[in-house]
Amino acid sequence: MHDEKLLTQYNYDEFVPEKFMRWMRFAESPQLGERAPDFPLWYLDGSETLLSEIWSASLYTVVEFGSFT
Amino acid sequence: MNAMAEKYEDRNIGSIFLYTHEAHPGENYPHLTSMAQKTRHAYDLQNLLGVSRPILLDALDGACHRAYGSMPNMTWIFNRAGIPVYKSDWSDANSVENALSYFLDVSERRKAKERLAPFRVERLDYRNQDKEAFYIGLMRSGQKAVDEFSKAFS
Repeated sequence: MHDEKLLTQYNYDEFVPEKFMRWMRFAESPQLGERAPDFPLWYLDGSETLLSEIWSASLYTVVEFGSFT
Repeated sequence: MNAMAEKYEDRNIGSIFLYTHEAHPGENYPHLTSMAQKTRHAYDLQNLLGVSRPILLDALDGACHRAYGSMPNMTWIFNRAGIPVYKSDWSDANSVENALSYFLDVSERRKAKERLAPFRVERLDYRNQDKEAFYIGLMRSGQKAVDEFSKAFS
């Protein structure tokens, strides 16, 4: 289901430049004004939804990306 | 960001927190190896740090996060058609609220039958920098997270 190397690289185990800098790709992110890519997401109870279901539910939707750390 | 979300929710503005990967893995919150662990960390974000917005989980391989530039704490605003109208490489409530205020005004102008055409603009916004609070946050993850951050930017 998942590429094990990708899983390991994305979920890096230490905050060192050679492991986290590869993910700083904001300059390559989707353009404003163009249809954005859609992805499955999961609620904390395990139920699945789509990002498109989230953004289509409101006039505008604010999505903050982050984690506990 | 929670207060801003509550302030605008009755104006048809949705807000979510999308859980990605551990930017600063430490002894208490190590790197993610399963969705079950990711769910536990997200519950702690909700219960210990008080994130009141709906929290959704990205796939373990960060498919969504990576497609949007994979910055550790970025914010995007989408319209109902799935068009991103704002993106910021860091999350700041003042910046987001400023954008929302603008877009809500655009909606009102459209209702008033103004003919509007989109254009792109770049702008440099400014956020508060609270190093003490940041290091307290790192310490929640563990001393390892503090030491690695200090070393990375020394």
